Amino acid sequence: MTQLLWNGLFVGSFYALIALGYSMVYGIIKLLNFAHGDLYMLGAFIGYAMLSSVGIIPASMSITALLIVLLLTMIISGGIGVGIERLAYRPLRGSPRLAVLITAVGASFTLEYGVSAIAGPNPRVFPVRLQGETFDILGARVSAPQIVLMVIAVLLMLSLNSYIQRTSMGRAMRAIALDPKGSLLMGINVNKVITWTFFIGSALAGAAGVMAGAYYGKIDFLMGFIIGLKAFTAAVIGGIGNIKGAMLGGLLLGLLEAFGSQWLGGEWRDVFTFAVLIAFLTLKPTGLLGERVTERV
Amino acid sequence: MKLRIPKVLVVGAVAAALMATTGCGGILSGGDENASGDSGPIKIAAVIPLSGSSAPTGTYMKNGMQMAIDEINAKGGVLGRQLQFDPEDEACDPTQAAAAANKAVSNGAVVSVGGYCSGATLPTLPIFAKANIPMIIPAANSQELVNQKLPNVFLINGTGAQQSAAAVKFMAKDGVKSVALVDDNTSYSKDIAAQTKKDLEAAGGIKVALATSVTAGESDYSSVVHDITGANPDMVYWTGYYQEGGLIINQLKAAGFKGKIMVADGSVDASLIEIAGGTSAEGVFATMTQTPDTIKGAETWIADYTKKFGSAPGPYSTQSYDAVRLAAEAITKAGSTDGDKIIAALAAIDGFELFSGPLKFTPEHTLSSGGFQILVVKDGKFTLHDDLS
Repeated sequence: MTQLLWNGLFVGSFYALIALGYSMVYGIIKLLNFAHGDLYMLGAFIGYAMLSSVGIIPASMSITALLIVLLLTMIISGGIGVGIERLAYRPLRGSPRLAVLITAVGASFTLEYGVSAIAGPNPRVFPVRLQGETFDILGARVSAPQIVLMVIAVLLMLSLNSYIQRTSMGRAMRAIALDPKGSLLMGINVNKVITWTFFIGSALAGAAGVMAGAYYGKIDFLMGFIIGLKAFTAAVIGGIGNIKGAMLGGLLLGLLEAFGSQWLGGEWRDVFTFAVLIAFLTLKPTGLLGERVTERV
Repeated sequence: MKLRIPKVLVVGAVAAALMATTGCGGILSGGDENASGDSGPIKIAAVIPLSGSSAPTGTYMKNGMQMAIDEINAKGGVLGRQLQFDPEDEACDPTQAAAAANKAVSNGAVVSVGGYCSGATLPTLPIFAKANIPMIIPAANSQELVNQKLPNVFLINGTGAQQSAAAVKFMAKDGVKSVALVDDNTSYSKDIAAQTKKDLEAAGGIKVALATSVTAGESDYSSVVHDITGANPDMVYWTGYYQEGGLIINQLKAAGFKGKIMVADGSVDASLIEIAGGTSAEGVFATMTQTPDTIKGAETWIADYTKKFGSAPGPYSTQSYDAVRLAAEAITKAGSTDGDKIIAALAAIDGFELFSGPLKFTPEHTLSSGGFQILVVKDGKFTLHDDLS
């Protein structure tokens, strides 16, 4: 039981990190950025490239090296996210919602097969793998790397939350989410805020990519696809556009998967998870913490 | 009034059906004309994965085939004509495979010697069957391929049923009492898992503690690992491919699983050991048909191959090499490039020497013995553990 809880929370924290980017971007420009899962993949490959170019890293240094690579990857993948917004989404700002959505699908394929063309289609094995002691906590097997990654994920989420709540940029983001035109009239530089949003969302996805690479050990150019869909699901469960909702949705999805697999068997896990999603959205279309649309107007 | 509308519909349907059949006839005869040209090189097609995650194996196959083609051509070819090799990429994708097969047919292929991913090979079967082109499939081995009962299809790799029989035999021999079967929901993988379950239940004595599936393409398999450690079987048999296999082995070991692990032939790849990381894969068993390393007396062949391509042969190099030789033999025996005659010649073959031993097809056009053996990972490499003979 505790093992299932822990497994669910651990996977859920990956979903949550990626779901945050989905949710932030949707909250601000009402765009479902389907390329977001691929930024996770890109983050993993950027981390891979950096770590392999360094050469052999002694085991004692691997955590430090990984943290440095994590930071650098966040900056680079954030920059790439901003670039995608500039090239693919901004020119379509005034176009119908559907056109931008399809552009996002296009951006996703461009990233996937671009990486496949450059790095090759074969899976790569991450040069650093987090290994460590396992502990027994209340009957659950918990490993040191899992704890480290959970702590990093929670720290990233907490700092994002306080950034959005406390800083003027965060306030501007919330203002644009409520009323983009009004914010523009109040003197907020809307384009700058959108750029920041993409940067933060993509950086978080990139961080999740490096963490997944280091923990699971295998990366490939399609690794962002399924997890992207799952993160999107998590964002919707939590109430898309809501930051805390995305975190909660990610964790909830992880738990649903863990318990679904246990109760019904592995082959029914996805059926169970997504049936719950459908049932949930029928009863509460705005998601866990989503606000009712009428409040936005 | 009520009767007239159906009548019109029936007439329309009949007309459409007639048009469709005549249309098909047209395409068929066109294909035949191309294929049975009497002069020029004889085209041997191979629909194999040359890109995508199975590309390394596809390359081993392509090289093996190329080697056989070059050897036969150096000896003067077949029926006084040279062989021309036409490899087509299918990327292990059913859609691409169908397109590649159509391309091979319109290029005038006489025999097809490709087929690695069962899921991608399946849709190519009716395409080659329609054009009456014999298929010698060197690697793909799902029972589904056999169940199509097409006269032009010949499998020279052991089938899924033979693989599960070998797995069950080894489990009994190794004293395993309970087994967990895990597949990845693809046709090939589910096929072996289901067959193994059936065989185990029929044989009795070994309990199937768990039979479950995972979704391919994910990274976290903690839920299936949890189910396995909960059921605590003596052995886990993973019937999917190496990418997920490596992750599952790693996560099983991390979760403290102490039982044995065995994988099916789709997971026999050096990457499995790498993905599993460190020494996690040490002692992992595998059911596998013969690889160049495990065949006695293949040393000179391996040396020739290595010299020619600059790298050592891998899984399915030998079967692919044999597929081309078998095709040449059948064309020679048939004395013609006519599809029906080659198929008859293939079905009649008796005692033709392959790496896996003398060949004689069963009425289902499969090998009479699968040739599966048990490999084990030792010092980071798959080595022969038990040839089950």
